[in-house]
Amino acid sequence: MSWLTVSWFGAIRTATGGLLRHTMQAVVIGMVLLVSTASATLGFALLAASNTPFTHAFGAQRGADVTVTVNAARASSAELAATRSLGGVTAAAGPFDEATVQVQAGGQPFGQLVLAGRASPGGAVDDVVLNAGHWPDGPGQVVLDASPGPGQDGGPGQDGGPGQGGGTQLGSTLSVTGVPGAPDLIVVGFANSITNTADGWVTPGEVARLRAPGTPASTQMLYRFAQAGSYAQVRADVAEVTTALPPGAVADAGSWLAAQDAETGNGAIMEPFVVAFALIGLVMAVLIVGNVVSGAVVAGYHRIGVLKSIGLTPAQVVVAYLSRVGGPALAGCVAGVVAGNLLAVSVLSQSAAAYRVGSQQAPWWGSVAALAGMLALTALAALGPALRAGRLSAAEAIAAGRAPRAGRGYAAHRLATRLRLPRPIGLGLAAPFARPARTLVSLAAIAFGATAVIFAFGLHSSLSRAAASQTLSAMVPVQLQPFGPGAGPQQFPDAAQDAAVTAALRAQPGTRYDVAVYEDEVKLPGIAQGVNAQAFGGDASWIGYGIIAGHWYDAPGEVDVNTAFLTQSGLAVGDTATVMIGAHPVTVRIAGEVFHPSHQPTLLGSVQTLPGLATTANLQEYYVGLRPGTGAAAYIQAVNARLGSRGPWQATGPDGGQFYQIASALIGLLALMVAVAAGLGVLNTVLMTTRDRVHDLGIFKALGMRPGQMLTMVVCWIAGPAVIAAVIAAPAAVALNTATLRAMASTAHTGIPASFTEVFPPSRLALLSLAALAIAAAGALLPAGWAARARPATALRAE
Amino acid sequence: MRQQSVPAAGGDVIRLDGVTKTYQAGSPPALADVSMSVAAGEVVAVMGPSGSGKSTLLNLIAGLDRPTAGTVTVAGRRIEVMGESALARFRARHVGIVFQFFNLLDDLTVADNVLLPAQLAGASRRQARARAGELLARMGIEQHQNAYPARLSGGQRQRVAIARALVNSPELLLADEPTGALDTASGLQIGRLLRELNAGGQTLVLVTHDPGLAGRYAARTVRLVDGQLAGAGLEVPA
Repeated sequence: MSWLTVSWFGAIRTATGGLLRHTMQAVVIGMVLLVSTASATLGFALLAASNTPFTHAFGAQRGADVTVTVNAARASSAELAATRSLGGVTAAAGPFDEATVQVQAGGQPFGQLVLAGRASPGGAVDDVVLNAGHWPDGPGQVVLDASPGPGQDGGPGQDGGPGQGGGTQLGSTLSVTGVPGAPDLIVVGFANSITNTADGWVTPGEVARLRAPGTPASTQMLYRFAQAGSYAQVRADVAEVTTALPPGAVADAGSWLAAQDAETGNGAIMEPFVVAFALIGLVMAVLIVGNVVSGAVVAGYHRIGVLKSIGLTPAQVVVAYLSRVGGPALAGCVAGVVAGNLLAVSVLSQSAAAYRVGSQQAPWWGSVAALAGMLALTALAALGPALRAGRLSAAEAIAAGRAPRAGRGYAAHRLATRLRLPRPIGLGLAAPFARPARTLVSLAAIAFGATAVIFAFGLHSSLSRAAASQTLSAMVPVQLQPFGPGAGPQQFPDAAQDAAVTAALRAQPGTRYDVAVYEDEVKLPGIAQGVNAQAFGGDASWIGYGIIAGHWYDAPGEVDVNTAFLTQSGLAVGDTATVMIGAHPVTVRIAGEVFHPSHQPTLLGSVQTLPGLATTANLQEYYVGLRPGTGAAAYIQAVNARLGSRGPWQATGPDGGQFYQIASALIGLLALMVAVAAGLGVLNTVLMTTRDRVHDLGIFKALGMRPGQMLTMVVCWIAGPAVIAAVIAAPAAVALNTATLRAMASTAHTGIPASFTEVFPPSRLALLSLAALAIAAAGALLPAGWAARARPATALRAE
Repeated sequence: MRQQSVPAAGGDVIRLDGVTKTYQAGSPPALADVSMSVAAGEVVAVMGPSGSGKSTLLNLIAGLDRPTAGTVTVAGRRIEVMGESALARFRARHVGIVFQFFNLLDDLTVADNVLLPAQLAGASRRQARARAGELLARMGIEQHQNAYPARLSGGQRQRVAIARALVNSPELLLADEPTGALDTASGLQIGRLLRELNAGGQTLVLVTHDPGLAGRYAARTVRLVDGQLAGAGLEVPA
């Protein structure tokens, strides 16, 4: 480095030395940038986790757009092969024979598995990735799909179900029940199919041995189409194949869209509110950084003049002021990236486990983008005031000393006098008008901070309502489910065991309502995948499903459906539909849309409207409502004592929904960070004003202003802007809450009842708006206290 | 070091006993073991070269600062032991201060500047306005009561400052270089004004480096050199 370069930067280092005294401003800049960078890093991480892993894996594995299950008796191999040549088909694989089996592990029910016979994992479509072990190469071997099934984390879009692959290890033995010889299958590997074309794979020759006698042979074909980007296109693709095959050949069809929706995961659902907080933090960072540097320039006019008069060039002055924010900005951004990564780990860990793609950290590019982006914004925010400092003439700066008064604020002081307010209050309220730009920045910082706080409270309330609605916890504090093998066929509970439940419930004085819930999959033309149907064996109007549109069914033939049902079928509330329950068509009328977030279409009705569902095998659980004053824990204990431990049925409370707990914690943390940053922004502004006006404060003290009056005056500097900020923040937060909630619901592919967004009654909103005053007061108290404690002589000596 | 004191007459409005003020440990004191008193109705000039401790002395008397050692009694009250709140109240009611560079508040009108000490002391609005009007008239600047200080001449601003200092009828008026920022003619006017006030019984302590001002208006002069009192008081020629 040349001597000239060394001396150029050396002069700046010397000039900057004095600027480094301002620790509080450095802390403010660092904290604000920490908040915004952390939010941005988390936002990028969630964005990457929501789309990138599935998209990449789907492409890499040549995932199947549609998986068609065919009745092998209705379509020949030649007919199936001919479908490869259909106009819309770009690639096909199969036919792969398949068998649906009931399996036990260690003598306990393991669940139902759809096993496909494939000689190898690879292929033109659905290139299955082997994660552990080896592919079956002989009889008695199975490779299980390694991805956890839906419902593993209790979030929206996750509606509970057995987890495939979970709980077993390589070498585990699974026993197939209901098949002659009860064959065993040894788990020899775990693999991953991006669209879950099967729950496991065996050799092609193994399939016939696993089919229960009398069950129709089925086979699967896997297709990729030229157009399959929407549910409508997928329905058209399935129709094309169905038309090409003999009538009744197509038994079922699974769509890649449903798999993608299932893998949307909680990270993507959280993304809208993380983005909202990130944007708030971003704007605040720009405002506050600009304000800090601008204030430093204004306060340092005299210093700038002296520096220039002794030879510092305009460029060196600009660099000196930019470097003033550079250090704390870099520290804040780096700390923000670390914090953002830490926050992302807990959120991403769930979605990252889904397909063993992606990672449990924020992607490196997200951290880099957040860091670089925030530093660039900081530099831009600081550049304007720094350039102003560079352009200032030395003579003007020295002559001006402190910022020259421009004669603003006179009218405000006159008004304050006329209002006959106590003098310190009047002086304080009128003071902001002397520096309108700085006042506007403070107002904006408080408004953003208050918006974040009010928004956080509202979102927490909304999500609490969503959680209660999804888990039915408000009205169904007790549920009875089978946790062990029953005495009936295929180890389902038998009639006597079911009757024992009813007796146990009726014997409890705390029982107010109880209803049996039957569940099975039904078919609806137009929906590629199966529809989950729930039939209630009695009055279910008390359960408390959130109604998005229409009403709860209250007439024969009426049903309620979830949003996924309407989206995938193209139907609307009020329409009729013909549902296939087994082989029997049933016409139903859609009475309402309920809040039941799931990627799978769901239909709810009475056992009378949905005949054939009320079988022992389909009895899933009992919902119980309690009389007022009945404690759920004691009730559960009493019921379980009566049922005993030998039966399959056990009473339990509703699942809490881990997603909502994580989301609430994250919301609270982000809101706190933004509020603290806003408070620090206010502190910095009041501190700058206190330093600017220190001589005036000395005069007030000399004239007899007491410390308490001084404190009041300084706090009132910010009270006026705080009130205006509160008026702005309240409606902004309401709008933001509604928009964010709708975005989250959209990501979770569900509508929401109006009650989820109606969480701001006027009294509550007014109380929450006090957040603005709280932030302002918290930020102003420290400099106000300093001003109150300062010695008058010290203040008067300051120029 | 021998304690030096200046002889005084009548009841004392101000009494300093062994007052020392050091700003930084290890550095020479700004004031060193000063003892003096000012009687009611006196005009005392405090003189000395730059850095002699004149303004420090005035700040201690006004309660704007605290001594490192010694006692300061003003209007019968030991002010060095008072808390900040009590000091502020005391200043508002018992001490008026006139500064060299006026120290008016630029965003308040002349009238509001004069009213401010009364409002801070809790005086009723009507009483305060009446008193302020009376003082502005006495100072000859009532026509400027709605103007802002930036529009006034130096002499006019100092008159406003004097009116402000007197609005609560303090026992003691302290003036720190009251003519230091004024031209000769304005300075003479202010000087005559101060003499008129004293003629009405106002106790006045005047810090100045101008021997002419001290000689014309002060009955007694106190000299400070390097923070210490120097010699006996000088009598103003009759």
